[in-house]
Amino acid sequence: MDFLSIDVGTILFTLINTGLIFLAFKLILFKRIDAILEQRQQEVDGTYQKADAALNAANSDKEEYAQKIAGAKEEADAIIKRAEKVAQKQGDSILEKARHEAQAVREKATLETEREKSLAKAELQGEISELAMELAEKIMEKEINKADHERLIDDFIQNIGEQS
Amino acid sequence: MSISDFLRGSPDGVDVSGPKIVCSFDVGGITIHLTETIVLSWIIILAVTLLLLWLTSDLKTKDISKKQAVAEWAVKTVYGLVEDTMGKRWRWFAPYIGALFTFSILGSLISMLGLRSVTADFNVPLTWALITFVLIHGTNIKTHGFGGYLKGYVDPVPVMLPINILSEVATPVSMSLRHFGNVVSGMVITSLLYYALSVVTAKIGIAFMTIGIPAVLSLYFDLFSGFMQAFIFIMLTMVYISNADGNAET
Repeated sequence: MDFLSIDVGTILFTLINTGLIFLAFKLILFKRIDAILEQRQQEVDGTYQKADAALNAANSDKEEYAQKIAGAKEEADAIIKRAEKVAQKQGDSILEKARHEAQAVREKATLETEREKSLAKAELQGEISELAMELAEKIMEKEINKADHERLIDDFIQNIGEQS
Repeated sequence: MSISDFLRGSPDGVDVSGPKIVCSFDVGGITIHLTETIVLSWIIILAVTLLLLWLTSDLKTKDISKKQAVAEWAVKTVYGLVEDTMGKRWRWFAPYIGALFTFSILGSLISMLGLRSVTADFNVPLTWALITFVLIHGTNIKTHGFGGYLKGYVDPVPVMLPINILSEVATPVSMSLRHFGNVVSGMVITSLLYYALSVVTAKIGIAFMTIGIPAVLSLYFDLFSGFMQAFIFIMLTMVYISNADGNAET
């Protein structure tokens, strides 16, 4: 061939050859590297998404726990308040009952005292009348003079004093 | 030139010729010459294909191998170059630029194996320049419409028509001749130098001149020049095409 010549055959072959090397670059190098770069990008994106999701989950868990703790505190407060109320109520009722009972006991005691008093009174009256009868008998038996009379009364009074 | 000839110095004369015809055959009355250029192109394509297959085998997303790092770097570099020069919407053009650059470099550097540079055949850079030419005008028509494209020739004044046509035709001619001229002049200078040195060697009888000096010069004429011409060619291709694409974002 000449040193500088235009040969249509060579041009056509070079066109085909350039096409072939272009296809080799496109279909082997660029296609494969693009695919792997894309895949890597997706993996990186996936990792970021996972990390974000984990962070969000952790944050929501934290919030939830904080809420739960706050709720527990409130609940505990409510329970304590309720218990205090119940205790107060129970204490009050116990006190009331005790007061009632004491009242009842006192009333009973007063009644008993009263009854015993009246009983004693009746007994005393009975004894007095008995004594009066005895005195009358004794008077009837003896002749009564003034001195005797006085002594009798004194005795009688003394008797009462000794008896009571 | 055999090794013994080389060591003794072989003043057989300088042989700078066009690509040899490996074989010829007739297809429907048209004779097709299978030249050195075509056969060497096939060897380059085969080598490149095998290299790419090896580079992209066993790709992983993590713990990548060195060859995968090289392959990824190459792809990203070409993408970066294309996007910087032509804009993001020309990203799909990157494989062609990578292929053209590789073909051009290897086509020039194959001379370092003692073979004839593929790019030292004018038809090869001419073909690439014609591809660029078609792409420039295709892009222009696609962007401005056929009427707008034709109007571009009488812009800014109708008098400019012949100059505009000349400048459009000059583009592929200058591109191909620049590439061809650089490679072929390197080849001629290297051949002349080898001849001169072997004459000196033949006179002295010791092969001290032919060792060392050609290697240094080959570093410029083959390696540097081959790289530069490939780079210039792809840069011009990208710039011309993106210039034709008026809508290109920067």
